[in-house]
Amino acid sequence: MKQRLPLLLVGLLLVVAVLHLAFARVSPGLGSLFEWLFAWAGTGDGLSDMDRFVFADVRTPRLFVAVFGGAALALAGTVMQASFRNPLASPDIIGTAAGAAFGGAIAIVYGWSQLAVIFTPLAALIGATGVTALVFALAGSHGRFSVANLLLAGVALNTLFGALTTFIVTKSFSNYTASSQVLFWLMGGLDNRTWDHAWITLGGLALFSALIWPRVRELDLLTLRDDSAHSLGVDAVKSRRYLVWCACGLTATTVANSGGIAFVGLIVPHLARLLVGPAHRLLMPTAALLGAILMVVSDLGCRVSPADWNLRLGVVTAIAGAPYFLYLLARQRNGVRL
Amino acid sequence: MSQLIANMLSKQLGQKTVLHGVNLHVEPGELVLLGGRNGAGKSTLLRCLIGAVEPDAGSAHLDGKPILSWQPKARAREVAFVPQDTEVPFEFTGRELVTMGRHPHRGRSEPLREEDHKAVDRALKLLDAEAFQERSVTTLSGGEQRRIAVARALATEARLLLLDEPTNNLDLEHALQLVTLLRQLANEGHGVLVASHDLNLFAPHCDRVVLLHNGRADVDAKPEEALSPDNMHRVFGVQSHTPSSFFPRNFTL
Repeated sequence: MKQRLPLLLVGLLLVVAVLHLAFARVSPGLGSLFEWLFAWAGTGDGLSDMDRFVFADVRTPRLFVAVFGGAALALAGTVMQASFRNPLASPDIIGTAAGAAFGGAIAIVYGWSQLAVIFTPLAALIGATGVTALVFALAGSHGRFSVANLLLAGVALNTLFGALTTFIVTKSFSNYTASSQVLFWLMGGLDNRTWDHAWITLGGLALFSALIWPRVRELDLLTLRDDSAHSLGVDAVKSRRYLVWCACGLTATTVANSGGIAFVGLIVPHLARLLVGPAHRLLMPTAALLGAILMVVSDLGCRVSPADWNLRLGVVTAIAGAPYFLYLLARQRNGVRL
Repeated sequence: MSQLIANMLSKQLGQKTVLHGVNLHVEPGELVLLGGRNGAGKSTLLRCLIGAVEPDAGSAHLDGKPILSWQPKARAREVAFVPQDTEVPFEFTGRELVTMGRHPHRGRSEPLREEDHKAVDRALKLLDAEAFQERSVTTLSGGEQRRIAVARALATEARLLLLDEPTNNLDLEHALQLVTLLRQLANEGHGVLVASHDLNLFAPHCDRVVLLHNGRADVDAKPEEALSPDNMHRVFGVQSHTPSSFFPRNFTL
């Protein structure tokens, strides 16, 4: 059953993807979607150019950014939790996402993102890697990362880089376009995503997943103490550095294209472990699919909510995720392992 | 046949020189007990011997080659290690953890082969851990977790076995079973080095006892000689007596 679960999740993802394409505050709706799909398959027509444009160039890229971005964040969280031997590690808790946002904000405010669309994710990757390297230095000792150290380093770095990002944004208030763009982006959302964003998110997901996958079994071994991993033929320090860097890449890809999406990287690995256990060969694909589903459903929630709420994706995931994070903390405080 | 040698190993941790020119060797077919006070450097020595820690001076050699120059998986097929702390933060089953012992034998994407399953089964059986192999490790007692960790080391099928306080948390029966198993492995040609405070349990089964004191291998001799009243007093600061009353008792399986 456990082995077949990813297949079930693929089915579920397809269902929520169809709902995501079909439902929004304005038409076209489900009927038009099927007409479009049939036309695409060469067995129907009759859809207006506008409706075709909405499906092909507005909703589909948005859906793809949600699917690939959700999968990337979930994979990043799964890799970090194993690498830090800590179920509370995730890109947004330890500051990786804040570093990515800082890098991305600089790229947008200083206009690098206008030069080439790849500059925002690259700047985000540099920010994410820098902050994560700081966490390594501040919270770890001989490969041991206590919950307290990790969370404290995360609080400090999140605050520091949040403040630096705010500084960058306020400094650029004279440039209204850039500052409003970066503010909107920082809140996390998938409005106005284009095929460029979809391809970059897919590219980042594919690249870093391909780098991680051959070493997926090392993630199992990293959950042991470093001495144990070493005695089983894994250079724990090098392996952890490599895999966490890949997780930074996954985080940067998503943050650059979707802004700050909180808690997906923390919650999804837990849900996936509940379903298929902690062995990463099955956990990773399960987490990726669950992350994609969660992101698509959250974005669907934003799109069908009343227009005057202006609900942002990052707000939905934070409202859903924060209580779960507190629940995990309470469980750990009571001595229950996560 | 694997031979492990420490040659004038020195290691400083912080301000403290833990090891100060330690010489030690473990030959195939030997069960060697490593003793010493708390903080004497037993764990640090074991970590140097498996190449997890680089010594400040001196070297450790496996089969005549510096341990640090071995390719990691090749080294892991020769030397297995059971650390003192065997806690795992995620809910792996006992069997999954023991199967990790097959990592040195597998290519990156290679699935488990028949011989891997057999090695895992054999290791679980030797540690009497078959009954709880499918349970999550977080539901196991400390002793059961330790038996799983020893089984993982055995699943590597390495010829040298280094264990750090392997009888911690074990009940009397399983502690005796483990000592007997280690003796049996030594008789089959394995080299076994055990760091332990449980001198009475291990000494009768050992070929040699090495006592670390003041950063050196102060004593390296057969058990009767190594644990003489003089040595016990110098190394541990205690008086030793021949049993003359009801305790201690001898226990056997």
